[in-house]
Amino acid sequence: MDDRSTDSDPVTASESSILDTLGEDVIRIVSPVSLCMLLVVLLVSSLSSTNDLSSSISSLFLSSPPTSFSSLNLLLGSDSTWEEIKSALITALSFVVVVTLLTFLLVLLFYFRCTNFLRIYMGISSLFVLSFLGGFISLLLISHFKVPIDPLTFGILLFNLSVVGVFAVFMSKFPISMNQGYLVAIGVLTAYWFTMLPEWTTWALLIAMSLYDLAAVLLPVGPLRLLVELAMSRNEEIPALVYEARPVDPQPGDRVRVWRERTDVVRIEATENSTNSANVQTIQETRLAVSEEITAPLIEPFPQTGDRHLNTEEEDDGIGLGSSGAIKLGLGDFIFYSVLVGRAAMYDYMTVYACYLAIMAGLGVTLLLLAVYRKALPALPVSIMLGVVFYLLTRVLLEVFVVQCSSNLLMF
Amino acid sequence: MTVASGVGYVLIALGPAFSLFASVIAKKPFLILTLLSSTLFWLMSLIVLAGAWRAFLPVKSTELWPYSILILTSVGFQEGIRIGFWRLFKKMEDMLNAFADRVSKPRLFLTDKMLLALAGGLGHGLAHAVFFCLSLLTPAFGPATFYVDKCSNIPFFLISAIIALGFVIIHTFSMVIAFNGYTEGKRKDQIFVPFAHLIAAVITLINLVPGGCNVGLPLLCIMAGTTLYYSWQLVWRRLTEHQTTRSSD
Repeated sequence: MDDRSTDSDPVTASESSILDTLGEDVIRIVSPVSLCMLLVVLLVSSLSSTNDLSSSISSLFLSSPPTSFSSLNLLLGSDSTWEEIKSALITALSFVVVVTLLTFLLVLLFYFRCTNFLRIYMGISSLFVLSFLGGFISLLLISHFKVPIDPLTFGILLFNLSVVGVFAVFMSKFPISMNQGYLVAIGVLTAYWFTMLPEWTTWALLIAMSLYDLAAVLLPVGPLRLLVELAMSRNEEIPALVYEARPVDPQPGDRVRVWRERTDVVRIEATENSTNSANVQTIQETRLAVSEEITAPLIEPFPQTGDRHLNTEEEDDGIGLGSSGAIKLGLGDFIFYSVLVGRAAMYDYMTVYACYLAIMAGLGVTLLLLAVYRKALPALPVSIMLGVVFYLLTRVLLEVFVVQCSSNLLMF
Repeated sequence: MTVASGVGYVLIALGPAFSLFASVIAKKPFLILTLLSSTLFWLMSLIVLAGAWRAFLPVKSTELWPYSILILTSVGFQEGIRIGFWRLFKKMEDMLNAFADRVSKPRLFLTDKMLLALAGGLGHGLAHAVFFCLSLLTPAFGPATFYVDKCSNIPFFLISAIIALGFVIIHTFSMVIAFNGYTEGKRKDQIFVPFAHLIAAVITLINLVPGGCNVGLPLLCIMAGTTLYYSWQLVWRRLTEHQTTRSSD
């Protein structure tokens, strides 16, 4: 079977092949997600030999009963597995309940047009994450690597970095690379914080959040869906911590696509002692280059005005999007992916690789599903479920097999 | 034996893979996606094999035959899967061509197809190196090193890094050979790939014999070199034929 007849003429290869630019947007989302996961894995593996300083700091910092109690119990060794599972389920359930209530509160506030209040709240929570969590984790790193730095310098640096971070995240005139960098940093810090929870709690939390995600976006009474419909009907943007995968140098007349993914509202109050919020945006329409079934315009260069026209026509499908039409991925998704990989890193690196591949596959499947169904879909469930499945399979099946083969120097 | 040696082992196993990635694959985003999906594919085949063999592990005997059955079944399964992978690849090629027609850009060049095969093969090789070598390298970043009984003159990490290097090369380029062979329908290419894989895997069986790794490692490197040479000849031939048919039109 000779396929030379279907080959193009390489002599006129001065025109680029489709392979050059296809999948660019996906890579622009995959890279920061991978970077976030890599940083969390590095943090976890370098700080995992926790000395007394960190465990004492963490027990100082965590003032709430459920998690610290069970972690203290674990430290004292008085917890049986069944107790752990019970406390994990209770913690996860309470977390989901709190998040649901807060999302409904958010919908209410958005309904009453208290957008300024929401923006200020988000600014304060990012400041909190960057300064307190960032400071705490920097202290852990400094004590672990014995970095010589005095408190005054540390204080000034921390203050500067956090304030610039808050501005970078919320002012639109800031360079996009700083915005993206700080969002990844916030994601890393929050994800590392979550990995400090006990093991069963982390897994229960991940599964509970992905189920909540599924319910909140797909059920007609779900808060996220209500929020999206509200924003759609008013043609407004929800104030949110969202990663926008714009290229760093935007070209004029760039291909414009309407593609967004949803995020999560993750707000933890006194129960978890850290605050971060990411808001929701819907997945409107999307198309993935490889799927033939898509009829959505794939690569048609829209001028800027045409893009706005496209938006208003598609009002019933989605909200108006960012001015450059880039993909947006919510920070909650970043955080939970990294939490899963970070927790896998606490076991072994083999699980890290397997979970990383599973999460990437889940992300790809979600994008494909979006291209096929063309309506709002949650980004967490598929990836988290695949990640958990691969973690279990690796831990139970793969590890024994590979160690058996490699220790006898048998490879294939 | 410290971070430096750990990083050194990683670079021995994955150096050529990294340079291939940086020079060829990182430039085209679609190839990165192909690489990720083929890595996932290999991982899934490995999990299936592990699941199938779980009941019989750990193999306690030091005899040769359980391990040879293990190797034979694993290689056979993976080579069978390769045909499935090629079918998926053909489907993807058709979709890409249809997409190219729709946006009135040229269809896939021959070099594009070979690049896709290369990315697929590199994904397989990367998965092998990661799961068989890198995941066991964590102790190497610490203060000591480890020797296996059967091969007590080379550290275990170095052996596994060199074997991983050999297999990265074999996997990467045998995918190029295999895809070309299936596309053109040439028996010789189609037979070469499973053969090469099988021979390479059987060579690692030599490592079971005490002192066998001194023979096994060079043989494996020779096998990797053979695969590399064969694929080089194949690609050269294919490209020059393509060029001459083009210019004769």
